[in-house]
Amino acid sequence: MNIPITEIALSLWVVCAVLIVFTKKMYRIIITFGVFSLIGALSYLFLGSPDVAMAEAAVSAFVTIFFIVCIERYYKFGMGLEDEQAEEKVKFSAKSVGRILAPTGFCVGLFWLAMQHLPMDDAVTVLRDQYLARFMYDVGGMNAVASIVLGYRVYDTLFEALLLVVSVVAVAHVSWYDKAEMIDRRHSEIKNSGVARFTMRVVCPIIIIFGAYIIANGHLTAGGGFQGGLAIATFFICRYLVYDINDLPIAKVMRMEKLVFVNITILPVLAVFTGVTYFATYILPLTSDVYLVAMNILIGFKVACGFFVLFYRFVAIERW
Amino acid sequence: MRLDIFTMVMFFVSFFGLITSRTIIKSIVFILIMQTSVVMFWLIVGNMHGSLPPIDVYNIDAENISDPLPQALMLSAIVIGISVITVSITMFNNLFRKYETASWDHMEKVYSNEGEGEQ
Amino acid sequence: MIDLISQLLPFFVIVPIIIAVFLYVFSSKQMARKVAILFQAAFVVFAFLLLRQSLEGELLLNVGQYAGFLGIILRADYLAAIFVLLTSVIFLMLAIYSLNNDNTSLYWFLIFILEGAIVGLFLTRDFFNFFVLVEVSTVVVTILLMYDVKRRNMFTGIKFVMINIVAMQFYLFGVGYLYMITGALDMVAIYYATQEMDRAQLVLPYVLVMTSIAAKTSMLPTLTFLPKVNSMLGAHTPVAAIISGLQIKIGVYMFIRVQTVFGGVFPEARQLFLVVAIVSAFAGVVLALAQKEIRLVLAYSTMAQVSLIMIGLNIGGLYSFTGAVFHILNHAIFKVALFMAAGMIAHRYGTGDITKVRGLFRHSPVIAISTALAVLGMVGMPLFNGFVSKYFLAYDAPLYLEWIINVINLGTMLVFVRFSAMFFGRPNAVISESDSARQISTFVMGAACLVIGVGGVWIMRFLFGLDVEFTAAEVAEKCAIFLGSLVIALLVYRLVLAKHEIFIRLRGFDLSFKMLCASIGVFFGGFLLFL
Repeated sequence: MNIPITEIALSLWVVCAVLIVFTKKMYRIIITFGVFSLIGALSYLFLGSPDVAMAEAAVSAFVTIFFIVCIERYYKFGMGLEDEQAEEKVKFSAKSVGRILAPTGFCVGLFWLAMQHLPMDDAVTVLRDQYLARFMYDVGGMNAVASIVLGYRVYDTLFEALLLVVSVVAVAHVSWYDKAEMIDRRHSEIKNSGVARFTMRVVCPIIIIFGAYIIANGHLTAGGGFQGGLAIATFFICRYLVYDINDLPIAKVMRMEKLVFVNITILPVLAVFTGVTYFATYILPLTSDVYLVAMNILIGFKVACGFFVLFYRFVAIERW
Repeated sequence: MRLDIFTMVMFFVSFFGLITSRTIIKSIVFILIMQTSVVMFWLIVGNMHGSLPPIDVYNIDAENISDPLPQALMLSAIVIGISVITVSITMFNNLFRKYETASWDHMEKVYSNEGEGEQ
Repeated sequence: MIDLISQLLPFFVIVPIIIAVFLYVFSSKQMARKVAILFQAAFVVFAFLLLRQSLEGELLLNVGQYAGFLGIILRADYLAAIFVLLTSVIFLMLAIYSLNNDNTSLYWFLIFILEGAIVGLFLTRDFFNFFVLVEVSTVVVTILLMYDVKRRNMFTGIKFVMINIVAMQFYLFGVGYLYMITGALDMVAIYYATQEMDRAQLVLPYVLVMTSIAAKTSMLPTLTFLPKVNSMLGAHTPVAAIISGLQIKIGVYMFIRVQTVFGGVFPEARQLFLVVAIVSAFAGVVLALAQKEIRLVLAYSTMAQVSLIMIGLNIGGLYSFTGAVFHILNHAIFKVALFMAAGMIAHRYGTGDITKVRGLFRHSPVIAISTALAVLGMVGMPLFNGFVSKYFLAYDAPLYLEWIINVINLGTMLVFVRFSAMFFGRPNAVISESDSARQISTFVMGAACLVIGVGGVWIMRFLFGLDVEFTAAEVAEKCAIFLGSLVIALLVYRLVLAKHEIFIRLRGFDLSFKMLCASIGVFFGGFLLFL
């Protein structure tokens, strides 16, 4: 029997989004969004893209934490609660019905128009066939996705890494507190729990090893620098629960992140733009693997640093 | 069944959310949903001729392998998405501290009053 | 030589970014300034070399030398090279302008990254690469708008960044459909694929991509321009100048590229763009008339001028197209000059209010002369750069359209007649002197308007290879129209606008985020209905 598992996952996914539309409480929105991302990541997996699924799962963990840090004040200090109450108080009247019907009609109309012009669902596979036939010779490695990210389209990857650097700078700059040092001296609530401490001691090494494995084998199996870096960054989430993260050198990490970024830029310039890997694959097949592993490690290091800084800023500064 | 209709539905559900949500945080959530639906769309495009991951491709039939290019692009798109969203969340937090409200309308009112006071 | 320069193409993008990161990590303020000026000067030289080479033939580089369309292809034809040269010149001038500012290395970091991203946008031939670079430039522009911690305008800033993300999601969705039906991301590959394709297949991707481009170029009814302008008040002068002079041109450039791919498939879309652009031009003029802060006047008149460029691009003739591209350059030059002058006025008198600043000619002749030169260029005075580009912009236009362009120009004159009041009268009290670096850079930009105008025909020949000449009769006609509309503008200003502020209700006009999203949706739906 052939279970249409992708269709089921996608239907659940749509249901989650519709739920979010009609939810008014902030916490519920965030939690439903977490479920939504999880189902999304699962669907990615069913669609044959474990790399993207991993990235989405890790990213949604961070996004959920960022949202909760913002929402926490909402309830703790009773600020802005009138927004929620005002939304609940809306009474049934002609105006309120119109207020719902007008956008619904508008969106349904747009959807209907778009459906009229829907192209036929037949993807052209010229590029796919070429990539699958050539990537081992052109770039090397066993994972076609990694070889595209680090080889064929490394020029894109540079800007993607750049955007992460810029976003770390941006978060520090648009924040309400414009210094890099921490101000949060509060301890975590479960700091003194022995069970929590023991769990962390068991789990943290596993997380680190898992991240390192993903990074180092990114060119062979699913994974890569970005996913591994995110996995390593989740280590700091765990650490924050039990120990403080105030003892970590934030300024040094930020500086390091930028220097690693420079390396990420220079390495492909030397290796790919000049065509060295292209020729080296034929002469010395090992060089391409060295290049891929080096790039994965650099990207992993950079992403881990970047997300550490982001997480740190959110829990130590934005939360305060 | 056409899978890309799901993403089309999602795109307009999130669009509906964007034009109806009253709080900034909800708008940000809907932008994230929009991004997810676009990512899903690309992966469905890559999935149209085969759904096996493009890893270790020499041991499987090439006809059943999904397209690696959309996957590589969507990795970039996800990183870009979270970078931009993080900036928005930080800006929201800053605004929330200043105006003590998360609602677009309340904030607009307070903000425009403030602007008139300066001039 | 061609080989060497085309090998250097990615370095036009990467070197500014690497220098930016090094500046941020290592250097002090003093050092950053010197490096900035030196680098920008060198960059202008290289951009000029690139232009020289690309005029002989299109430069192509396949990054990584992968076969076919597997990798990303960078391309520098004359259009891209002109834009790169323009970018480098404007950034050099802005670097000189902010020579004595007390900017941290963060500022230079952002400026350099923005430069790299914008140059990358002009050089790339890949649809997805374009998306990545637009997102980078959006985030960088957001931080630059929020750079001044005391004056920054966070509420409009968050609207700006969020509406831009939404617009780019439409783009990415459209590119996804394009990839599905053509199997390519490269613009040239897609162009060849679309030639044999059924038209009905291409409607949805084209409309999705065009919707986001419309949001970037502030075509009505997408009003995404509003939060950008409103957050400009709290920004530094160079940032406002870059956004108004360059960043909005990204959308126009992308419009040109997408139209070269799809223009043959959807020839009737041009009519819609013409109508939309005409309406946007009038809206821009009206919104500009309502303002009294100099920078806001300039920013809203950008909306009108960009719409004028869009009119020229959509008329369809070669001369009009070339004139429109030339007008992009000219607009960048005089708009940057005007923004610089506005920044100096605000710095000198502590106010940027048109109704309050008086007596510029007596007190600060350099500012006054450069402002006057730039304004004359903008309204299309004969002998100035605006005249040349507007002349060719209307070259292929049918008669009714020519008159519409004249009326839009009359509106622009109305906006800038108000500037003339600032030149005369009793001077205000000076708060702080402006330094010589600012004066020099502003004056150079102002003088460039005159120089380009005088050598206009020669520049057209050099840049676009068009053998053009003015006919005496037409020039006389244009001069008569110019003088006539100047008189009308002066009369209308004296009799109506100076006494009654009709448009005062539109001052501070802004839309909520929901309405901004809905406006994008309206464009999307309307365009789908039209096709």
